[in-house]
Amino acid sequence: MLRPLRDAVLGFTRAKTMTFFAVVATGFSLLVLGLFALALLNLNTLIRYFEDKVEIVAYLRDDAGKSEVGLAVEELTALAGVAQVNYLSKEEALEQFRSDLGPDSDLLQDLEANPVPASFNITMQPGYRDTLHVKTVADQAAGYRFVEEVDYGREWLRRMDVFKHVVSVVGISAAALLGLVAVVLIASAIKIAIFSRQKEIFIMKIVGATNGYIRRSFLLEGFLKGALGGLLAAGCVYAVTEIFSRRVYSLTGFSDRYYLYTVLAGALMGLVGSWLALSRYLRRV
Amino acid sequence: MITFHDVTASYPRGARVLENLNFHIDKGEFVFLTGPSGSGKSTLLRLVYHELRPASGEVVVAEFSSRRLKKRKVPVLRRKLGIVFQDFGLLENRTVEENVAFALEVTGAPRSFVRRRVAQVLEQLGLAGKQRNFPLELSGGEQQRVAIARALVGEPFVLLADEPTGNLDPAISREILRLMIEINTLGTAVILATHNYGLLAGRDDFRRLHLSAGRLIYDGSNRGFAPTSDQV
Repeated sequence: MLRPLRDAVLGFTRAKTMTFFAVVATGFSLLVLGLFALALLNLNTLIRYFEDKVEIVAYLRDDAGKSEVGLAVEELTALAGVAQVNYLSKEEALEQFRSDLGPDSDLLQDLEANPVPASFNITMQPGYRDTLHVKTVADQAAGYRFVEEVDYGREWLRRMDVFKHVVSVVGISAAALLGLVAVVLIASAIKIAIFSRQKEIFIMKIVGATNGYIRRSFLLEGFLKGALGGLLAAGCVYAVTEIFSRRVYSLTGFSDRYYLYTVLAGALMGLVGSWLALSRYLRRV
Repeated sequence: MITFHDVTASYPRGARVLENLNFHIDKGEFVFLTGPSGSGKSTLLRLVYHELRPASGEVVVAEFSSRRLKKRKVPVLRRKLGIVFQDFGLLENRTVEENVAFALEVTGAPRSFVRRRVAQVLEQLGLAGKQRNFPLELSGGEQQRVAIARALVGEPFVLLADEPTGNLDPAISREILRLMIEINTLGTAVILATHNYGLLAGRDDFRRLHLSAGRLIYDGSNRGFAPTSDQV
């Protein structure tokens, strides 16, 4: 195994231009994919930030009885997708309103009666914060006798749904297209690199090298070049994340595993690309 | 050692290149393989080292027969042959030593043995001191000697030379021929394909196989051959 490894490393120095080209092509392709993934990741973070704000507020009538409110809380909590149901009494609601007004809370000093209704504040679990699930729970809440009105930001939620759908479709399509372009670019770079070594392959066959021996040298080289390209891409994505976060806006970055996967993806593409490019030359006797 | 039984060869989608070849070459023989360009000399050599299979007939090289030889055994056959080409076939980004060592490394020989054997062969061919040079730093004659060194390093039983002097001037060509004759006297059979008839001058006792339009029209001593104008 040492000899093919030595040959693979020597292959780098013997064909510097081709090595550079293959590494850069792999690195660039994975970098573009990585930056796209970074953009999607942060877009999803933004979406989740807004989704966390999704809340159903059911305003209660003043004659709502304690036991029927308690029963309603239990029933609503048991619905699919409901994370929590908070009951706010009129007094608690007034206090919250006063706190929300901040310095303007003096306006409430002269009130004779408490105008703020009691309410249920219902939050949904992640994955259930879309129009369909929210409306189901909202409709259920609206069905109680003592519920005056239910508010859940219907229009805002609808737009959010559309936005998520567009991001999802565009994201998947673009990722697939970029992935395909990456594969084609890397495969082409490897093909050119192997083509430039066809004389070497011919000589190897003439002096009696088995196909296995030839493959080991070239595949190892392809693996290493691909890994280098992956490392380059991972390094650039990391640098972009850090620089952008410090200078512009704090980005959600990838975990360490992502960077490892990028290096492995590059290595795998290098390996597979070399295998396919080499097969053509090894088919000849 | 090398036998052709009624061998016919053609290329895919092409016309027949060789027709009904029958000859035998013994151990230690020196054979000139002559004929005009396109007569099939290179094709004949390709059949010997099994880059091409005969369309019909049988090519036997040592214990290997074209009828039974499996693809995975072809490298084993080639390790018993030494092959030299007109364009030297050296790898430009490797030193002389690395080019010659290549032929042994692919067999999995230990590094110490490779180093020793390469030094021995380079010494034998007058290339001691050139180990660290790259091919383009050498003259044509020296490059061909490196190619011969690579062909010999594995101690083949036959050296196949396809127009080895094609890119060399007459003086160097004669030098290369002398070298091959010397190699032959040490026991390695040599098949030298050439259309440079000047090389054969004075080599009357050498065996000659002459091809014309894919047919073997003469098999005998160089002295006895008098080709017509359309056969050269």
